[in-house]
Amino acid sequence: MASTGNLPVRSVWRRRGFHTAAAAAAIATSVALAGCGSSSNNNNSSTNTTASGGLGGGGGSGTTTSTTLGKTGGGTAKGTATSGSIKFWASPITTSSPDPRKVLITAFEKAYPHIKVTLESAPSDTDTNRSVLSSQIGGGGGPDVYMGDVIWPAQFGSQKFAVPLSKYLPNSYFNTFAPGLIAGATYNGQVYGAPFFEDQGFLYYRKDILKADHLQVPKTWEQLVSESKQIQAKKQTKYGYVFQAADYEGATCNFMEFLTDAGGKVLNSSANKSELSANNAAVKALTFMHSLVSSGVSPSGESTYQEANAMNAFDAGDAAFLRNWDYAYSTSQASGSKVIGKVGVAPLPTFKGQSYPGYSNIGGWNLYVNPNSKNVAADITFVKWMTGTKAQNILATQFSEIPTNQSVRTESKVVKSNAVLAIVPKTRLVARPAQTPKYAAVSQAIYQNVSAAVGGSKSPSAAISAANSSINSTLSGGGL
Amino acid sequence: MAVTSAPPPATSGLPPGVSGRPLVGRHDVFRRQLARLGWGFSAPALIFIALVTVFPIVYSVIISFRHVLLYSTGFHMSGFTLNNYAKIIHYGPWRYAVAFTVGYTVVTVLVELVLGMGIALVLERLSRGRGIMMALLLLPWSLITVISARLWQYLYDPSVGAASKLVQLFGAHNPVILGHNASAIIALMVADIWKTTPFVAIILLAGLVMLPQDVYEAAEVDGASEWATFFRITLPMLAPTIGLAILFRVLQAFGLFDLPNVLTGGGPGHATTSLAILGYQAMFEFNQAWGPGAAIATSTALLVVLGCLCFYRVFKAQAAREVG
Amino acid sequence: MMRNRRRTGVRRYLNVMNVAVFLTVLFVLVPLYFMVVSSFKNPNTIGQSLQLWPAQWTVKNYTYVWTASHFGRNILNSLIVSVCSTILVLALGSMAGYALGRLPMRGKLPILMTLLMISVFPVIGVIAPLYVVLRTIGWLNSYQALILPYTAFNLPFAIWILRNYFLGIPREMEETGRIDGASPMRTLVQIIMPQAAPGLFTAAVFCFTACWTEYLMALSFDSNTNMHTIPVAIGSALSTIYTVPYGPYFAASCMAAVPIGILVLVFRKSVVSGLTSGAVKG
Repeated sequence: MASTGNLPVRSVWRRRGFHTAAAAAAIATSVALAGCGSSSNNNNSSTNTTASGGLGGGGGSGTTTSTTLGKTGGGTAKGTATSGSIKFWASPITTSSPDPRKVLITAFEKAYPHIKVTLESAPSDTDTNRSVLSSQIGGGGGPDVYMGDVIWPAQFGSQKFAVPLSKYLPNSYFNTFAPGLIAGATYNGQVYGAPFFEDQGFLYYRKDILKADHLQVPKTWEQLVSESKQIQAKKQTKYGYVFQAADYEGATCNFMEFLTDAGGKVLNSSANKSELSANNAAVKALTFMHSLVSSGVSPSGESTYQEANAMNAFDAGDAAFLRNWDYAYSTSQASGSKVIGKVGVAPLPTFKGQSYPGYSNIGGWNLYVNPNSKNVAADITFVKWMTGTKAQNILATQFSEIPTNQSVRTESKVVKSNAVLAIVPKTRLVARPAQTPKYAAVSQAIYQNVSAAVGGSKSPSAAISAANSSINSTLSGGGL
Repeated sequence: MAVTSAPPPATSGLPPGVSGRPLVGRHDVFRRQLARLGWGFSAPALIFIALVTVFPIVYSVIISFRHVLLYSTGFHMSGFTLNNYAKIIHYGPWRYAVAFTVGYTVVTVLVELVLGMGIALVLERLSRGRGIMMALLLLPWSLITVISARLWQYLYDPSVGAASKLVQLFGAHNPVILGHNASAIIALMVADIWKTTPFVAIILLAGLVMLPQDVYEAAEVDGASEWATFFRITLPMLAPTIGLAILFRVLQAFGLFDLPNVLTGGGPGHATTSLAILGYQAMFEFNQAWGPGAAIATSTALLVVLGCLCFYRVFKAQAAREVG
Repeated sequence: MMRNRRRTGVRRYLNVMNVAVFLTVLFVLVPLYFMVVSSFKNPNTIGQSLQLWPAQWTVKNYTYVWTASHFGRNILNSLIVSVCSTILVLALGSMAGYALGRLPMRGKLPILMTLLMISVFPVIGVIAPLYVVLRTIGWLNSYQALILPYTAFNLPFAIWILRNYFLGIPREMEETGRIDGASPMRTLVQIIMPQAAPGLFTAAVFCFTACWTEYLMALSFDSNTNMHTIPVAIGSALSTIYTVPYGPYFAASCMAAVPIGILVLVFRKSVVSGLTSGAVKG
């Protein structure tokens, strides 16, 4: 009953031909556009070249001669612009008011009344943040200045997603930072990020319990384990030590601390080969991490623990020791926590026979400038101010962030302002092996295997050799 | 008024004995007019879709066949290469992701179909309270996928999660649901089924509600049992709608991203790394792997299309309904 | 339900299917219960222990969401984008669905398959090129930056399902219209669409929900804080990198679910009845 049409056959083909032609035209246009696509996005930044005026409240003396830089057509983007508008992309730093981002922007605009800064709130998750920035910057747009993870310089530098600040700013500027931070922001001899505020791993402990049991703050991991067992035996807490070993970047951070304590490293100095299997350190570190869980000192859920899980366990009074970043101190003292007034901070322990303190992994955030920005001069002015003494002081004293500016870090007022900042001068830092643009794949090889070993689904030696071969494969061009 | 006791043929809504064709001479002119009208009606939508989607999709497909580097100045492409595809085929996690995504899709769609059908049947019989029930059942579907994932992360938490405690009641000791391959995959499926069964249920419900009632009255008069009614009357008439629900559920399931991203990060290991997650990692995490990322996206689309072509006969019947 | 009518009381409803559906409904409701109830728990203690209901009820999470991210503005943005896209999709999709279902066009199958293939393509592959186009036109951080892609990517699904539901309407409905001298457009609007109300409702709910909950495009194209839609605001204003604030997440989610609930409740009558018998058979 339903007819499929009585039209003669040739008109059917004529119709079909029309469709094919239309489709082909659409595709051809797209191909042509795609072919032109690569060259049409050349968004060269032009700089505002007002070189007069003072420097505002920043560090650095700006006495270099400006270098012309090929595509950008030269210009004096050395941090002395006095007008322009900046889109500043930053994820939330704290969740309580006032908002440090807004406080700093207000203070900056007071110092530079003709530079307008607009805050764009970025995603809190660092990977989502990176993906959006990649889409935007790679698409020829993006914000002017963005706050990004400390492990991005190599990846972003190799993709030219960040301006090499060392082409605009003098060495004296980079010397104002704490040692090691600039090295972490360098790739191929250029510095791509300006350290904004820093973070590292700390040992948090229940000082009330240690006092009650007449125990010392542990200086070795072995001591931590034995003290934990005592505390757990007395049922003072459910667990001894909580840390992070889920399938994510945080596991790499934790592992770096144990690994470096044991005397190992991930990459060789040219960052083209893995050193995980070069000695026994990696297996020793990972075996120890696994034993924490298998002995009951750490909860069995550790292979899914991120910072929030560990923090909640500690705040609930379920753990005697916690490894976490600097935010953990204020969180543990906030309302709702069961351990208010009971928390002490110390550098991390190390293995027996090594020199104290153990290594703390570096975290934190850098400021990067987008090459697609239309006013690099204003951007660099902003960056200089945000890493200068005034801004860093605000960050430290008002918001308890660890400043990157070395003079601010060692200022006694800052050091005394909170328990964490007092410990900062005593810690030893180790960076993640992010000097290669392929760091994300390297880190994935590490954290997947570390998490598996901690969770018991792989033996530590199998995990390390898997990580080792995976990293070597990535670095020699394998994988994706 | 004729009352038939057999279900009407699926290709026509006309009572038997009536042909739909007017006088022969005017028929061709009329049909051509209607055909032009058809183009007129569908052109706005098609042009709209073409303008917005054709360029990005074709661009992405092209990227997958070229050497591509991404810089702040844009995509720099060169040459024609199958290397991107070679890379992903040789990449273990990709092969796993294909198997995982396909298996995941099959299981979740089957379960949702059964549950959704049951819900739709019961809802159809409710005369009062149907609206409230529908609003309630649509709530999981209406949640932002990331938030739904966070909800299940909360439920699966090893220390404070209700699901963990429930599993403990069944004898598991210190369960870490998301920490082991099998339980993590099942956990993902449960969360997904929870969220998307309403999707299937509503599609089926709307289809059920629009079925002609006279056939059911006839069946009742003839004394047919419930199950017989369901399997021999309802199901065949609902087949196109069911096919539609399956089709689009499959399309969505292949894009599985937020649940594993939030709950497991693709882990343990790469046990829950779906194709979408792998594509995301390639594009944004691994260094200059945009080419393989585009290859993953394109091959995913291709896989689904191939799967649809396997069921081509069904679709031909679907699309051929009332063609002409 | 003939057999069951012989039972009385509760046993009338006690058959396999009703029990199974009851369990399914329970399965749906329990996590929702946790979500709603947890939105009233103290945000600082929510992760410390399992609480079946809040130890102390508080609305802190709701006020926090509202102030941390100008939630009112986010709701407005989401509403504008979702409503406009849904209306566009329904209008364009009905016409196309009707044409591809009932009108004698050539090439329906290729068109339908192409629409399918467009739906299939993963969204992340599409974002960077779309960003380039939008930036070139200068439409970043605008409503149309979202309305256009949302409409375009939801249309294939809407066309498919509207076509499916239109096909379920008996031909004699259209014949009546034609005989009465109505133009095809009038036939569509005044005869077909009311009969296909359940299908329209379905398409509208799905399209609205898809637009309301979309995250990636909204994040990439409309990253200005005052253009944030609800999903973007939730991801960019409620937490820091290390915190997972379940309380505020659930509170924001409950607030975001309200408009969809309203939408369903207001239009639910359209799913109550499909064909009205008697109009044709007389």
